[in-house]
Amino acid sequence: MAANSPAAAEQYNFDIVKKFLVMAIVWAVVGMLVGVYIASELAWPFLNFDSPYISFGRFRPVHTGAVIFGFGGSALFATSYYVVQRTCQTRLFAPGLATFTFWGWQAIIVLAALSYVTGYSQGREYAEMEWPIDILIEIVWIAYMAVYIGTLMMRKQPHIYVANWFYLSFILATALLHTFNNIAIPVSLFTLKSYSLFSGPQDAMTQWWYGHNAVGFFLTAAFLGMMYYFVPKHAGRPVYSYRLSIVHFWALSFMYMWVGTHHLHWTALPDWASTLGAAFSIMLLLPSWGGMINGIMTLSGAWDKLRTDPIMRFMILALSFYGMSTFEGPMMSLKDVNALSHYTDWTVGHVHSGALGWVAMISFGAMYHMIPKLWNTPMYSVKLINMHFWLATIGVLLYITAMWISGISQGLMWRAFDDFGNLQYSFVESVAAMHPFYAMRAIGGMFYLTGMVLMAYNCYMTIRQGVRAADTAGQTAPAAA
Amino acid sequence: MADSAQNQGVQTTGHVWDETLQEWNNPLPVWWTYSFYATIVFALVYWTFYPSWPFGKSFLPGMAQITYTNAQGQEESWHWNTRAKLLKETQEANAQQMPYYAKLMQTPFEQIGKDPELSSFVVSAGKVAFSDNCAACHQAGGAGKVGLFPNLADDDWIYGGSHEKIQETLVKGRRGYMPPFAEALDAAQIDALANYVLSLSGGQADAAKVATGKELFHSQTAACYYCHGDNAKGRQDVGAANLTDKVWLWADVPGAADAEGKLAAVKKVISGGMAKGVMPAWEGRLSPEQIKLLTVYVHELGGGK
Repeated sequence: MAANSPAAAEQYNFDIVKKFLVMAIVWAVVGMLVGVYIASELAWPFLNFDSPYISFGRFRPVHTGAVIFGFGGSALFATSYYVVQRTCQTRLFAPGLATFTFWGWQAIIVLAALSYVTGYSQGREYAEMEWPIDILIEIVWIAYMAVYIGTLMMRKQPHIYVANWFYLSFILATALLHTFNNIAIPVSLFTLKSYSLFSGPQDAMTQWWYGHNAVGFFLTAAFLGMMYYFVPKHAGRPVYSYRLSIVHFWALSFMYMWVGTHHLHWTALPDWASTLGAAFSIMLLLPSWGGMINGIMTLSGAWDKLRTDPIMRFMILALSFYGMSTFEGPMMSLKDVNALSHYTDWTVGHVHSGALGWVAMISFGAMYHMIPKLWNTPMYSVKLINMHFWLATIGVLLYITAMWISGISQGLMWRAFDDFGNLQYSFVESVAAMHPFYAMRAIGGMFYLTGMVLMAYNCYMTIRQGVRAADTAGQTAPAAA
Repeated sequence: MADSAQNQGVQTTGHVWDETLQEWNNPLPVWWTYSFYATIVFALVYWTFYPSWPFGKSFLPGMAQITYTNAQGQEESWHWNTRAKLLKETQEANAQQMPYYAKLMQTPFEQIGKDPELSSFVVSAGKVAFSDNCAACHQAGGAGKVGLFPNLADDDWIYGGSHEKIQETLVKGRRGYMPPFAEALDAAQIDALANYVLSLSGGQADAAKVATGKELFHSQTAACYYCHGDNAKGRQDVGAANLTDKVWLWADVPGAADAEGKLAAVKKVISGGMAKGVMPAWEGRLSPEQIKLLTVYVHELGGGK
């Protein structure tokens, strides 16, 4: 069952999928390693070793870039190329262009990381790349869009499967967001420095329109696309409700575009703009949950597999974390809750419950599902997948619990007054109070990273065994697994 | 499971992708639909409460109101906005502190310690003011750092430890300076002086060099006595340190491992001088109330005189 018919490998372009999948694993290990390092720097500052290259400020975008665009991005390229071919029953349009997206995308991640370490940054969160890298992203993204839409147009199926709507909205939205957030005038042709076309609150609002929709379309819609293929496929059950998938797709796409301003509550942003962001965030709750309901209801009826199938466990846990963080987000976007949570570690915890709990877990599920089919061999060790699952689960729980406690304490300490009307705590006292939770967060990260390293080893052994089997069986007839 | 029973009566959409992928034609879950409507109602209420939709050059102001007292002492009401809210909340906090600050400004320095309530206020407000403004250099609790910033928690004062002198330090700032002697004196002379300086606070030193150093200290060649005084006890009017106590600021004598290290630390200051002892002026950056608060706080911190 794990193996494909030999014809499938001929029928589809799996080479590009394999390339992106391997790099997704590589970037996950690198990105999480850097993440654990910067978390440790916050807990034990001597780890800075007085070197600017590895300081928190430079390493932080290396971490976010490697995990979001390196790991998340490569996982999305891999799965979208896999899903679009299989659900359209056709090979990729323009395979040369698809190969270009691979090398282009990897170059972007490497160049971006090098530029951050050497001190070049636009200072826009999740869009720190300077203008020459931005142009490269634009070109690669348009190539990606061409391959994807071209393949959809060549489909041998009358209908476009729901996963593809989500992937397509992610590709379109990311193109828009990336373009408008990075409109800037370089200081000169031979400098990396440039100035944004927008200024003041408009600039901040453009940045957070981008920033939150990077979460909305890159880290949510796209991974919902992944969920809509791999969950029903792996469970062997139909998607729970076609109607729900349509309604929540359009509601999600419409609402997300409005909510970026909730990142700018209590700032120079006009109050009316922040109110709109908050209200749309609340209205986004149920459309977000539509995906969770559809996923969980699809799995229900296959609950028995949870006992035996760790891949299924990754998927159900991902959906649970998705539901939890899409509930937490709208709550944090309310003005009064935000007054407590803004600028605290609560935000960091929220992002990670989405990133580690939802994005990474659903990707692990999808990758463990794909690898045996791509290399025509069962996974090297199911036990290691199980261990990965538990390490990852403990890791996320430690991480977000630490950040909840530290974030809420920060918020409460900053606003505490004593009987005289004096602030009760100085800022530095709140920093000192964070220390145990920073240590706990770093340890949570170490758990998560250890699980990831096990996955990398397991996948390496699986791929090696697949390649060897293919070699002995000859090129044409891979051994049935 | 309820849904499985539900699914049994439900058709799929009839499409099949990738051999096995299908979709049930289930309706929207009722609770989902009504919850979605509820969030829309919530949004509508939120929009009527707070400023929301823009039109033309204006926007719906919302029904919520904020009333505060303006700079002219008149009450003003505005539609809800963050600026008015900040003003209002700042005023409320200030109003609570005001009687204590007023009392602090009226009470002479030496009386403050005798008023228990005012003393607690100074400790409470001073701790935060000190941590936010002073601790970056003088460290938590005013412990200072040898070679960089004076310790404020001891009873050794460079510019004077009276309330008036501490206040002057805060208001005007200080600029510590000692000229370098590397060119004026030769190595042997600097060595002798360093031995003498160490001997003043009971440190280990070569007796012969101490005698030479003592002579130099009081001579016109080195003229150390001019700032540090005939008795080497320093002069607070120019910020010259007392050399006869065991408190060190610029020469890291306590941190040196052995006698040789201690000597080297002192020689380094004599030959290189010192020009980094800058305390910024806080007048204009802190209010007179905050400066008086910190004066009393620092005075208490370090056994002021």
